[in-house]
Order: sequence, then C-alpha cells, then structure tokens
Amino acid sequence: MTNSNVMKGGAGTVLLVLSLLVMVAGFGYAAFSLSAHGHAAFNASSNVPWGQPISTYLYFALASSGLGLLAAIPLVFRVKAYYPVAKRCVFLAFIVLISGMAVLAMELGHTFRMIWAIPFGMQIESAMFWMGVLYLLDLIFLLWKFQRLEGKDWDSKTAKQIGVASFLGVLLASGNLALIFGMMSMRPFWFDGSLPIYFYLTGITSGMAALVFYTYLAYGFKREAMPEPLQRLLTGNLPVLFAALLGVTLLFILVRMVTGLYSNMPEVHLVWSDYILTSPVYHLSLWGGLVLPFLLLLSRNLRVQPGVQVLCAMLVFAGLFAERYYFVVGGQVIPLFKGTWAWDIVHYTPSAAEWSLTLMGAAMIFVLYVLGEKYFNLSDTPADITAPEPSGATAKVTA
Amino acid sequence: MAKWGMVIDLDKCTGCQACTTACGMENNTLPGENWQDVLYYSEGEYPSGQMKWLPRPCMQCEDPSCVHVCPTRATYKDEAAGGIVFVDWNKCIGCKYCMIACPYGVRFYADEKPLVEPDLKSIFPGENGQLWSPPYQGPDEDWRRGIGIQPKGVVSKCTFCYHRVSKAPEGVADLDEDDPELVEFVPACVRTCPPKARYFGDLDNPQSNVNRLIGNKRGVRLRDETGNRPQVYYLGAGAGVPAFQRRERS
Repeated sequence: MTNSNVMKGGAGTVLLVLSLLVMVAGFGYAAFSLSAHGHAAFNASSNVPWGQPISTYLYFALASSGLGLLAAIPLVFRVKAYYPVAKRCVFLAFIVLISGMAVLAMELGHTFRMIWAIPFGMQIESAMFWMGVLYLLDLIFLLWKFQRLEGKDWDSKTAKQIGVASFLGVLLASGNLALIFGMMSMRPFWFDGSLPIYFYLTGITSGMAALVFYTYLAYGFKREAMPEPLQRLLTGNLPVLFAALLGVTLLFILVRMVTGLYSNMPEVHLVWSDYILTSPVYHLSLWGGLVLPFLLLLSRNLRVQPGVQVLCAMLVFAGLFAERYYFVVGGQVIPLFKGTWAWDIVHYTPSAAEWSLTLMGAAMIFVLYVLGEKYFNLSDTPADITAPEPSGATAKVTA
Repeated sequence: MAKWGMVIDLDKCTGCQACTTACGMENNTLPGENWQDVLYYSEGEYPSGQMKWLPRPCMQCEDPSCVHVCPTRATYKDEAAGGIVFVDWNKCIGCKYCMIACPYGVRFYADEKPLVEPDLKSIFPGENGQLWSPPYQGPDEDWRRGIGIQPKGVVSKCTFCYHRVSKAPEGVADLDEDDPELVEFVPACVRTCPPKARYFGDLDNPQSNVNRLIGNKRGVRLRDETGNRPQVYYLGAGAGVPAFQRRERS
C-alpha cells in the first residue's frame, strides 16, 4: 500500500525541492529585511502591535491543536474508523506547530532571550508564560505519541496514557492561547470567556482541512490509490464531520457578529460594521472560504467526491486564515486612548516582509510533510482494522 | 518608601505640549514615541461643541495589567522605587503583550516604522546596541529600568523620570519645582509645565500636597473601571475619556 504514496517518489522530491526553495526565499527575505530595517520591515506598529505574523502563528498553532484533537478521536476515544488518519494527524500536528513557532520566532524582538527569560522569570500570572509551557508539553507529547505509533504501539496502556495526556495538553494549550486574547478586558473585541470554545471549533476545522488536503496529496489526489480503510473513512463520516465542524464554526462567527453589531460599544460595534464587514477580502473569505465549502459538504453526493473534498479543504485554509487575521487585527484597529491623534480606525496591511514570514511558515509545513511521508509510513494503522469493515465503521463512530 | 503620584489640574492645563517636548528632550525619545503626550478630544457640535485635552503620562498603576501579562517579568512594578512601573530592557523579548494589555496606550515599540517623519533612526544610526544614537544624549542610562536610549526590539515607556526622582532626599513629601532644593529631582514634565498644572509627590505621605489636592479638589483616575488604579490623578472639569468616534475625512 505504501508504494502508492506519491510523496515517496519523484513527485515528493520535486515538491520537497520547490517548498524548500520557497521556505529559504521567505526566510531569506524576512531575515534580510529585519537585519536591514529592524522591525520597521513590518507594518505592525505601536498602534497595531500584533500583525499578520501573529495571526499566522495563531492559525498554525490552532490548526495543530485541531489536528491533535482529531487524533484523539481514534487514539483516546477509540473510534476505530479514524485509525487510518491517526498517525498522519499526529505528525501534521507536530510539524504545523513547529512551523507556527518558527514564524513567531521571527516576529519577536529577542527570540533567543525568550529561552532563558521565560523559565527564569516564572511569571505564572501571564497567559503567555503558560502558552510557552503548554505548547512545549504539547510538542513533547505529540513527539512521544508519534514515537509509540512508529513502534506500532497503538493500544498499550502507556500509549493510551500518552494519548490522553496529549489530548489534555492540546485542550489546555489552545484554550490558554484563546485566553491570551479573551482575558484582555481593555480590548473588548476579544474579551470573551467563551473564546476557548471558538478556538477549539475553528482550530479543529482548520485541522480537518489540513488532514484532508495532505492525505489526498500523499496519494496524488487519487482516492483509489489509498488503503481501503482510508477510502472508507473519506467516503463515510469524515466529510460529514467536516461539514458539521464548518456549520458550528459558522454559527459561532454569526453569534460573534450579531452580538458585536448589536453592541453600542465602538470598540466592538465599529470593528464589525466599519472594519470587518466593509472589507471585500473578509466577505470573500467568509462566503467563499467557509459558507461555500459548508454548502458543498452538505450535499450527500458532492461531499464524497475527492475533488470537492480537496477544494473544500483549500477553501477552508484561506477562509480560516482570513478569519484569524481579522480576529487579531480587529482587536486593535480602534485606537486605544489616542484622542484625535488617531481620529479614524487604524489602517494596517501586512508588509512584504510579513507576507514572506507567512510564506516561509507554509513552505516549512510542506518541507517537513514531504520528509515525513518519505521517511515514515503515515498511513499506518493497527493490523486489526486493515481488513474490510463495511458496516461497522459508521456505527462505531456514531455510537 | 514613597509612593510617587502625579496630579494634573485640567482647569490649569492649556494643552501646550511643553510637557511632551520636555519629556522627549529629557528621555531621548523618538518623535512620536511620546512617553508623555497631550491627547485632544473634540466632542459634540455647534453650539455645544467642545474641545478637551488630557495630558497622559504612564499611569504607573497600582495593579498594572502590563505587569501581569509580561511573560518574562521584564515589566515590573518596583515598590522600592516609589511604585514606578519599569521595563527591564535586558529581559524584554519584544512580544508586545504589554502594549496590548495597557488600557492607556502609553507603551511604545520604537523599533518600527517612524511614527513621525523624518526617520531619526536612519539619520542617527544606532551604535553600541542603541536603537538610534543622537548627538546629544542624557547622561543617565539604566537598562534594567528602561532609562536611556533603548536597544532594538524592546518596549519603552515613561519612568516618572526615575533618574531624577531617585536622587531626591529621603522622606520628602512633594517634589515642587518652585523649591530650589528640590527642583533638580522633579520629573521633566512637571518642572516644565508653564501654568503649573502638574504636581508630584508621595501618595503615602498624609502631609503631601498631592494628597491634599486629590482630597480637596476631588481627584479622579482615568478609566478607573479597568481596575488598574493609576497613581496619576486628574483635577477639574473634563477628566473623562470620550468614546471613540470616527471623523469624516476632510
């Protein structure tokens, strides 16, 4: 079966070289700009301190968490139908998080200082301190879990314990990441105790998009080349789950939008009415990147089509990337206590250096992904589910 | 130990920005990097339209949200230094979370596109680790307290001119610029204020003039609903922050 994985052959090598070139170019441009101009290479400013590199990091970190949560379906909740994607989920979660961290490292003023200043500072009141601790634990658990799966240990007591620990680590890490924003009462657009739920939902949706896209990519977008249990999952309840996640994500976005527009508070109302909803890019990403794939996946016939699934995954990539961007920037566009010095909504568009970091992160995922497909069997499953199981899988999932 | 506080009388303040200029000169800040600023607000329409202004230093809050969020303790409140909130430039990683968390917008990340042209960072390129190196520099430098010219990649803010205040005699109730014995220890914005709208003293000293003013003239703190409890008080009419409203471009 592994021979049908095109990433192991020449196509994978071509993709590896191309993505490596993009990654190096992105890194090189950003590094050159930063060394020549400092952080003036970014369009983030004292009025909008967190720009696109932060929203990119957020996007990758939450996609990683989403993949980690998807991995928990088979590895924690023992839904056997999802075993064919478990190992790829864990691997993707690891590399997407690594790529997000690389983007964040390039954004910070003093990256290497962080390595000693955070542990020695022990500022346990800071959610950002906990972000470091929890995402480090998340990485360790993902790596450990992957190492057990690589050793074909799917069901031992230790493997189960690591799976549960990893699941909790993902929940805590992404929930805490939400609270970095959600606890900021001075930024009313973000201030929301239920933000972790929003992050879980959008995170698992973007994780699902990544899983679908990279699974198809491994087999040259040909479902018939995939192992039978994987085919069964992709024509079974995985697209239904994808549609359901998109639906709940859209519901959450709608609720935030309605409450924001209903509010009289300018820091919330104006962000929606005069910044987000007046942006053609936002509308394009919302309607094309979230609503359209949701509608496509609602159709019983369309949602099982490989082309539709890949298209939906790619649309959701773009839709949720924009969602993260407008979330991060939207919380800062109303000037904070600046009087008429800042008499309008603060204008921010990412600079070329900021875009190059986003490209670098995305290319890094491709590089690590191809390497993973080449050197590991990411479609590996426990021996007992490789046999055809036409009627049982769905029942087990829905149970 | 004193608990330094500032009182700003808005009935006296003319919004002249002398404080802003003095602060920039004293602390070698870049144009636009206004540790001390005067914010202007216009409200309403003719015939009841009004213009108001609020001088805005760092509030040196009693419970500062910037300190809580800093992941490295680079931002810290130094009770032994009169409760002033400092940034340790040796520990700051430039994550800018404090800038997100400060309700008063008093923090700056000067390693960015110039807020005001021309870009003095390119005219006076930084040397010896400084972000920029102007020909005149104040003599005091203490990176552990964010005093001097900052390095790249860190956040800067008002220090209540700690390099001056820290040299004041122990136990003094107020630092009054009219007192020749104390004038050298007064923060630059207070010392330069032409209408004498600013007062600086010890909030823990019952005899201090700042306490008397706060009590007798009903001093208020801006955005007290945030719970940060500033050590800067405002007197007089107009001590409120109008809600943000968009202006029509002309």
